[in-house]
Amino acid sequence: MTDRPDPLSETPGERAFLERITPPLKAPETHKAGFEDRVMEIVRAEAPLRYPGARAPWWRRPRTLRLSPLAGLGLAAGFAGLVALGTLATADRFGAGEGRPVAATVDTVHLVRFAISAPEARTVALVGDFNGWTKGGTELSASAVAGVWTITLPLPPGRHQYAFLIDGERWVIDPTAIIVRDDFGTETSVVTVSGARAT
Amino acid sequence: MEARSDAALVAQVIAGDGEAFAHLLRRYRDAHLRFATRMLGNRDDADEALQSAFLRAFRSLAKCVEPERFGAWLYRIVVNECRTLAARRAHRERSLVRDPATLGTLAERDDPVGSDALREEIQHALDGLTPEHREAFVLKHVEELSYEEMAEVTGAGVSALKMRVKRACQQLQGLLEEAYHD
Repeated sequence: MTDRPDPLSETPGERAFLERITPPLKAPETHKAGFEDRVMEIVRAEAPLRYPGARAPWWRRPRTLRLSPLAGLGLAAGFAGLVALGTLATADRFGAGEGRPVAATVDTVHLVRFAISAPEARTVALVGDFNGWTKGGTELSASAVAGVWTITLPLPPGRHQYAFLIDGERWVIDPTAIIVRDDFGTETSVVTVSGARAT
Repeated sequence: MEARSDAALVAQVIAGDGEAFAHLLRRYRDAHLRFATRMLGNRDDADEALQSAFLRAFRSLAKCVEPERFGAWLYRIVVNECRTLAARRAHRERSLVRDPATLGTLAERDDPVGSDALREEIQHALDGLTPEHREAFVLKHVEELSYEEMAEVTGAGVSALKMRVKRACQQLQGLLEEAYHD
């Protein structure tokens, strides 16, 4: 029995063709002037925040303190419970005696706390699809823990993309969260808010 | 020349020495520029893809589980960046294939192999392939990776890659045959 030739192997004609067209394609290319400078400028700006060194105290490390999606759901549910009480009270106040379903709006409010450790920052803002990616719309406040900035936002159920903006210009994502790219190739973090009702 | 290994440089960056990343950048930038240029058809887009790839690598360095194989890990990122940019560009400008009539004029010239004009014509033919076929062809016949290495950086199986390379060769021959017609 003879071996059949591999139909995917190169034929003599293809080999000759490749010998003619590949040399020009193998010619080396050179980067545009300033390529290394452009990359390293960003690396130098981000390095202290991303890799401050193993000996830095925990509260100076750049890890984002945003809740993991799983923990976030738990917190969202907890806050939703508190909100549900407020909604019920409101409904009682305005709807008592009219027989309205008071749970109708309970699941529309989920509070999610965002936090980031940025000791050197002058300002920290949250930008995301929930605020139209506007720069100064959602500023974080310095918390009681030095260097940690926080904000609590009501978010509708669903998947939300966001990033932190430090000093109005430095885009910081959470390396421990789910990371996605938007249509322009920019990396963003993702938080998912449960749609379950806090009833 | 920088003597420290990739693993040592990666460890230094993570330990807080951002400048060590410059050595990794210099070590790999040229090797990947040719691939990116052939994939994207021009140096501007290639530079953009590589800049994005290096920054993505820097930001994800802690996730590089085999720092001694940083080069292969970076290659995967470069391949992905080129795919992303090519897809975005294809969305922008649907047609990358030159008019076959224009391509045919190559037959009327006798540029020596290696001239910029000839390379440009071959590049245009390459642009006419699907991104998957172009990627397989460039990795195999320009970057000279083995099929196993190609499988690692693309995530595709060896059989599928062989098929893509074969198809790419056939399509390129079809596009360029007039250029080499005696």
